[in-house]
Amino acid sequence: MKLFIDPEQCTGHGRCYRLAPDLLSYDDEGYAAIRGEAIAVPANQVEFAQEAEGTCPEGAISLLAED
Amino acid sequence: MSTASQTEATVDREVGCPVFHQDFSEPQPLGCHWALADRLREQGPLYFNSYAQGYWIFTRHDAVKDIYKNPEIFSSESITPWDPEPIYRFVPTQIDPPQHIKYRRILNPWFSPRRMDEADAAIRAICRRLVEEAAPLGGCDFVSEFALRFPTEAFLSVVGVDLADADRFLVWVEDFFRGFGGDPAGQAAMADALGGIRQYWVDALAERRGEAEPRPGDIASYLLHAKYDDERLLTDEERLDMLTVLVLAGLDTTRSQLGYMFRHLAMHPEDRRRLIAEPELVPSAVEEVLRFYTMIFGDGRKVTRDHEFHGADLKQGDMVYGLVSAANRDPRVYDRANEFVIDRKKNNHFGFASGPHRCLGLHLARREMQVAVEEWLRVIPDFRLAGDAVLMERGGGALTAPLELPLEWDVAR
Repeated sequence: MKLFIDPEQCTGHGRCYRLAPDLLSYDDEGYAAIRGEAIAVPANQVEFAQEAEGTCPEGAISLLAED
Repeated sequence: MSTASQTEATVDREVGCPVFHQDFSEPQPLGCHWALADRLREQGPLYFNSYAQGYWIFTRHDAVKDIYKNPEIFSSESITPWDPEPIYRFVPTQIDPPQHIKYRRILNPWFSPRRMDEADAAIRAICRRLVEEAAPLGGCDFVSEFALRFPTEAFLSVVGVDLADADRFLVWVEDFFRGFGGDPAGQAAMADALGGIRQYWVDALAERRGEAEPRPGDIASYLLHAKYDDERLLTDEERLDMLTVLVLAGLDTTRSQLGYMFRHLAMHPEDRRRLIAEPELVPSAVEEVLRFYTMIFGDGRKVTRDHEFHGADLKQGDMVYGLVSAANRDPRVYDRANEFVIDRKKNNHFGFASGPHRCLGLHLARREMQVAVEEWLRVIPDFRLAGDAVLMERGGGALTAPLELPLEWDVAR
């Protein structure tokens, strides 16, 4: 699984990196640090990635099946 | 509070949805605004309120989200639908894209998670002092003695304002919100408060002007040096429009959410015990307060062009009102929507709005709420509502707030 944060949609609510602190972090303005790039989700982080996707009020997070 | 069924239409235009006439600015028994929002949402997705010049009300999560996500159609030029031409101009609150983000980027670092980590010790010290002062008294009005003072001192310390000025700000903020929610009788007080706040910052800027370097941790000094789009210095007009809204947003909102949160904790000993046993749940409890007990009754926008939207035939210049309090409890989106779920994970609520205008201070607000719970429960683990008077909340035209919250607890003698 890969996780992608749309840089046009993310406004920095910070709910994703609170729920998935081992997967996501933030930049100096409070945006998710990895917005704009798809990152691989380790098996032990899948649950947290799904929670992050569900909690984003912008719908900015998408989960993609690995190629 | 009257609802659609009790009022009659006075609209000279075919709107194709239920019409009612309702002033939302009057104080109500606490909880009435959420109950009204629930009723409106389940009776229908769309209404027209003929109050003031008239405006559309959207009650469901999907429409509220679409209002927030389409700022090119829904302008923030006015955020109060009963007042399409407000006497104030808040920056960046009332600025639309693409200029908006250029102002936000100036302010974002001041309220970032990292900045809040740095400020945590100072915020916690303020909270601890207030809690320890209150503890031996065995009771207090939580609103006036804690919820107004703690966020005010915390906010002023974050932006570098002398805490000795806190009482002046508290009066201005109270007076501003007498008019902001649409009450015609509060308009003069609102204008006076805006004048007072503005003059405070005019003086602060004058005192700092001409200094070669920005004073560390002093936001007025910072704005004298900050550049818009890395190109030009800000004008004084811009600086004052930014500083004014920071004060209003930073002091009033958190006091309201703190009040609602501590009312819940006073009434739910099982949740207090759970947060003491599992302190890692405090952040999700705070998030659930922001969903379930949102202080944003609704959020207004101005329509920029004729547009068909969720069943409404919108015309340019129309005002719309996204009923955030209804959207946050929409059972189409949330499991157990009408329950306080302390460990809720999926919580895409609009308690901090959404879209480009999401609350600038949300990391500070969360930090204050989290610290308040932690420090209060550490010192006063058991408390309850004092007396059985009906609690009241400020009118929900824009932002509701508990007007008082008498608490009591046992004190060891």
